Amino acid sequence: MNLSATIRGVVYRFGSVKEVLAKANSPKSGDDLAGVSAREPVERVAARAVLSEITLAELRQHPVVPYELDELTRMVEDTLDQAAFDAVKHLSVGQFREWLLDTRTTGPTMRAIAPGLTPEMAAATCKLMSNMDLMVVGAKAQVVVRANNTLGLPGRLSSRLQPNHPTDDVEGILYSAREGLSYGCGDAVIGVNPATDTPESTAQILRHLNDLCVRNAIPTQCCVLSHVTVQMKALDLGCPMDLMFQSLSGSEKGNRAFGISVALIDEAYDKMRRLTSNRGPNVMYFETGQGSALSSDAHHGADQVTLEARCYGFARRYKPFLVNTVVGFIGPEYLEDGPQITRAGLEDHFMGKLLGLPMGCDACFTYHARMSQDELETLKVLLGAAGCTYLMSLPVGDDIMLNYQSTSFHDIPSVRGLLGKRPAPEFDAWLTERGILDGCKPGERFGDPTVLR
Amino acid sequence: MSFTRTMVHDLRTRLAGADPLPPPPPVPEIPFPPARVFPSPKRRTPFAAEAARHTTALVGIGHVGTRYATDVVLQFQAELAVAHGAVYTALPEDWAAKQGLLPLQSRVTDHREFLLRPDLGRRLDAASVARLRENARRGVDIQPILADGLSAVACMGSGMALLDHFVKACEALGFSVGTPVCARFARVWLEDEIGEVVGAKVSAILLGERPGLGTGDGLSAYLVYDPKIGKTDGDRNMMSNIHARGAPPEQAGKRLAALAGAMLTQRTSGVPLDLAPIRSDLGDAVVGGYPAPTPRVRLVSVGTAGETK
Repeated sequence: MNLSATIRGVVYRFGSVKEVLAKANSPKSGDDLAGVSAREPVERVAARAVLSEITLAELRQHPVVPYELDELTRMVEDTLDQAAFDAVKHLSVGQFREWLLDTRTTGPTMRAIAPGLTPEMAAATCKLMSNMDLMVVGAKAQVVVRANNTLGLPGRLSSRLQPNHPTDDVEGILYSAREGLSYGCGDAVIGVNPATDTPESTAQILRHLNDLCVRNAIPTQCCVLSHVTVQMKALDLGCPMDLMFQSLSGSEKGNRAFGISVALIDEAYDKMRRLTSNRGPNVMYFETGQGSALSSDAHHGADQVTLEARCYGFARRYKPFLVNTVVGFIGPEYLEDGPQITRAGLEDHFMGKLLGLPMGCDACFTYHARMSQDELETLKVLLGAAGCTYLMSLPVGDDIMLNYQSTSFHDIPSVRGLLGKRPAPEFDAWLTERGILDGCKPGERFGDPTVLR
Repeated sequence: MSFTRTMVHDLRTRLAGADPLPPPPPVPEIPFPPARVFPSPKRRTPFAAEAARHTTALVGIGHVGTRYATDVVLQFQAELAVAHGAVYTALPEDWAAKQGLLPLQSRVTDHREFLLRPDLGRRLDAASVARLRENARRGVDIQPILADGLSAVACMGSGMALLDHFVKACEALGFSVGTPVCARFARVWLEDEIGEVVGAKVSAILLGERPGLGTGDGLSAYLVYDPKIGKTDGDRNMMSNIHARGAPPEQAGKRLAALAGAMLTQRTSGVPLDLAPIRSDLGDAVVGGYPAPTPRVRLVSVGTAGETK
């Protein structure tokens, strides 16, 4: 394996595949913070040149966290689909990029090889792609999932309705939920981040959300995003639960900081399949985000894009209904500005889809990152064009509990209108019946929350 | 003519000859749109009025096509500008000395580095360590620290008021209080090194919190027992949302002194600290939770009702 390249007579040597992966990464403040990024732009290109000739078989032999040290590496290695891997293992990363971009490589073909790809392969390919490359391949990917409705079909764009409230005031949550539904939002999930992380509170919010859906016959899912152990206890209380949520990290150590392990999520998944109120077959919901491993000093010297891909390697074990990256939430020390947040959103969507996940994105910024509202609105259109499964949706995009700026109730119908996309079909039919939508256009009751009881 | 040229010619004809666009319709009469005003209590819908009793989320705001009314856009932009203004204001270098506080600085040298390198914001620069050793009282119960954090605007706004109330409340409870210091480009964990250098039992940092929409003036406080480098978040107790609309400085100062007192009595802080004995002193303070809802106020009005800038 060749780990050096020459540009204008200067030889660039790299010590390991992990170093090549890190230095080939697009500029990210989090990689600078970790001290793993390229020192200058030409070195970055040299790393990409080296990476372009490394084969997928070699990448499998060199995971960024060793097999002996990390249960995620072991899980991925031990469960990789050999036939799918054999079909692509001879390709270099550069050749694999070209194969993905080839118009003869279709969504179904990509789905066939996905189980043979390790996260490192998805991350490596990402590093050789421009934003538009990422969008073109992302848009081809085909990942369709079903719970109470069906997500990810061609021509569809869904949204999570996020009616958070800083004190879990159920009435306040329901007012935001009704408003969002009247804008056609909420087909991915009505998902609340709770202020209080207890089984009783989780169960109480879930019961109220479920009542809202039953009362209005809404074909969607409800979820309260407390810790997985809290949700498991809430299930024991006998509450309805359509999706079970957990945040994931890209290494065993990072997951330990989140209070989870493969065994724990296995147990949660098993319990959920027995006790869920959702018609299935997909019952899990995961969130990820570049930089989470470094923030708990669990990055093992790897770059944040590769670690993010490893979250997807973890997630796919559970055939989730929803996975989204929360791309600008972590702050400017990991993603500094608009270009970095935009790039990360497109990267994560591409990698997740390539690995077979129904990838959504919380396109967002905190108020100390250098991203403008205009840049954020642009990113939502880019993600929609890239075939992103779902975005978030909040009143004016403002999370009054978590204090950050995301997608608004008004953005979802706007992006759908611009790109000719529709909500999930079951939800679409419900919106039409309630007069909220009229075909592709806003209907008579659009934006009128009193249409919901 | 070749096949292609014939096809192109036919296409042009079918696309309406010389001009591909038909003439526009007659100029219409354009009436004034209905007033859509936020957040005028008089004009809002019953839904919005009911919702406002339960949430500060902007609901019941209506729409123009699929977008916001102009008034909502301006309100949103004003709230965003307030937040950005708070983040990007740096604490002037001479501000601490003017307040009579011992000036300290982290290892951060400019504002961009402050945002990108939290690790540097958690350590004092060499000059500050020396200044602290030379000038600060040692071996105290409580070391108070005022700092910019993510909002120098909040620090300069109600920072001195909070510091004064906190120090007075601590002294009223009979605790010895260290030399008040003010740290620039500071992250929460900077309290560990400051407390360690002066040998304080409790280190208390009062600093500007990450602004939300329209709210750049909130302060948070983080207290840690037996401060030293290497303490983690689980070792700390915090109180957020300290401003006129949340917990006002006087009330917050008393609550924080009670919290410090509990740490001194129990000789611990963070997760192991039992808050039950001081529950009544803390009132409804959110310790380790999320900011309480902040009522939204209309920020924009056209005219000269306010102060000229």
